[in-house]
Amino acid sequence: MSEQSDPVAPVFHAQWGRLVAGLIGWCGDFDLAEEGAADAFEAAVVAWRRDGPPERPLAWLTTVARNRVRDRLRRRTTELAKLAILEATPTDEVAGPDGFPDERLRLIFTCCHPALPMPARVALTLRTLCGLTSAEIGRAFLVTGPTMEKRLVRARAKVRDGRIPYRVPPPQLLPERLNGVLAVLYLMFNEGYAASSGDSLVRTDITAEAVRLARLLHRLLPDDEVTGLLALMLLTDARRAARMRDGEVVRLAEQDRTRWDRAQITEGATLLAGLDGRPVGAYQAQARIALEHDSAATPEATDWAGVAALYGLLPATPVTQLNQAVAISMVDGPAAALAHIEPLTDSLSGYHLYPATRADFLARLGRVQEAITALDQAIALAPTGPERRLLVRRRGELRNGPQ
Amino acid sequence: MKFMLMYLADQVGDPCPVDQEPLRSWLEEMDTRGVLLDGGPLRGPETSTTVRNQDGTVTVLDGPFAETKEQIAGFDLIEARDLDEAIAVAGAHPAGDVEVRPLAPGMPTPASSEQKPGTQRYLMFVCWDQTGEGEIRETRATDADDPINGWIEEAGPRRLHGWQLQPPSLARTVRNVDGTVTVTDGPFAETKEQIGGYDMLECADLDEAIGIAARHGAPVLDLRPIPAG
Repeated sequence: MSEQSDPVAPVFHAQWGRLVAGLIGWCGDFDLAEEGAADAFEAAVVAWRRDGPPERPLAWLTTVARNRVRDRLRRRTTELAKLAILEATPTDEVAGPDGFPDERLRLIFTCCHPALPMPARVALTLRTLCGLTSAEIGRAFLVTGPTMEKRLVRARAKVRDGRIPYRVPPPQLLPERLNGVLAVLYLMFNEGYAASSGDSLVRTDITAEAVRLARLLHRLLPDDEVTGLLALMLLTDARRAARMRDGEVVRLAEQDRTRWDRAQITEGATLLAGLDGRPVGAYQAQARIALEHDSAATPEATDWAGVAALYGLLPATPVTQLNQAVAISMVDGPAAALAHIEPLTDSLSGYHLYPATRADFLARLGRVQEAITALDQAIALAPTGPERRLLVRRRGELRNGPQ
Repeated sequence: MKFMLMYLADQVGDPCPVDQEPLRSWLEEMDTRGVLLDGGPLRGPETSTTVRNQDGTVTVLDGPFAETKEQIAGFDLIEARDLDEAIAVAGAHPAGDVEVRPLAPGMPTPASSEQKPGTQRYLMFVCWDQTGEGEIRETRATDADDPINGWIEEAGPRRLHGWQLQPPSLARTVRNVDGTVTVTDGPFAETKEQIGGYDMLECADLDEAIGIAARHGAPVLDLRPIPAG
């Protein structure tokens, strides 16, 4: 049976998270909910291929999953009390727009709880909300499937034993906790997008899941920074097709701008337009920087002064200041930019883009030998093959004199 | 005098690797003698959550306050005549390795209480930096002007009991290797931050416990879930 005619796969992709979220809300147990969901999809593979998909797949899956959870509980004699609770639980669920409850918002806040280690938050979110297997998540983060499974088991144990609540945090906690959720989604997106290491195909999937989750969050919880993050993801991801060429990273200035995804840029721009006049949060500022780049027909046409000013709105971390220096170099020249990054030498000593950016400024000032030395440092620090190849090529160009 | 016994276990392995039979007879004996006030096993250190409060900025972190090889796997609050009796009680416990810490004077005997349904109990370790010069915020209320009274009032019934421990310099660590009991001076681990007090909390969930911990005022608060029953 071909991928297209498989009635279960698209439903799995679209509904896994909602099914699991609803089941956790009902039985209060991550493990049981996931086992029940997996059982239900297993049953669907047989039944739907035989009889065709049901009219309301999510309702069908929920009914089957609940029955399977009850069966599993019946087999565990020690959990009779729990069973009684299950039988008695009234349905106090809030229905979604399609008449079915959507509890994914609760689930996302629980998966991204600050009492969980960051890698576990990412893994738990990808597993429970996106339905990725531990082997798939492991491949993306360069650990084996069993190692990732152990990480997930520990995370679920902490949720259960530490009693991490399954809820959307109350208003006084919401801003802080929402920041935590956004940080997880942005990390997930960057892991996929920057491809700092690992299997590139799986990483593209992770990026897509991060965008999907940001869209979901944007729909369920309207908030300026959620909008900002979604716009940032769309406006960054719009350049994906132009970002790599022959296994080498292509710098923004050298990218083929006709290959940028115009529809995604328009969507990101529309989201940002909706934020006009609102306070500019960190994600919104970064999204506006991405939009400045995305809207310029050529690198020279970029509003560099505007970009530099937007960087000024971000927290002054070393990486932010390094990025700001690139904009400064276009407005005030490479000498000013070089002075801007001089104080960052120590804090960015392990980051390949520091000597790489410095080399660029030095080369533009005609200090070629120093630029080559800086590129040597950058090449030694580069984390991936594609980035290293780009740096090696630039060093070759400098050695061979002006093009 | 009251003492806190903290049972130690290597971080790898079972949370409380104690043979059930010797533990039962120890519990029976100590119960008969009226030694035990409160206690039991704790969930493993990976279920711990640490709340750090630096000049009013609160951060919630995964894991225990110190990443030591040995971790506290269980505890008992006991009433003993003196340190020698406390050490004897600890030495007879089948867990093997125990830190014995006297509690600051004046602690009222905690009332035992049934756990309310739908709640989770946490043992909260109140810790501070041993090397710092910051004032120790005590979890006790012998002085009416102590700002901790406001916190205790706020925590209300969610705080069952709690008190300040005597400093780590007064701790003894009892180790039982194949029946030979040795006692050394000092806490079980020479960490920068040390346990200075405890509170027993009974909360609806971890967020409620974090909220209470965040308002305590001490720089480091480590919340350890206690298994029900």
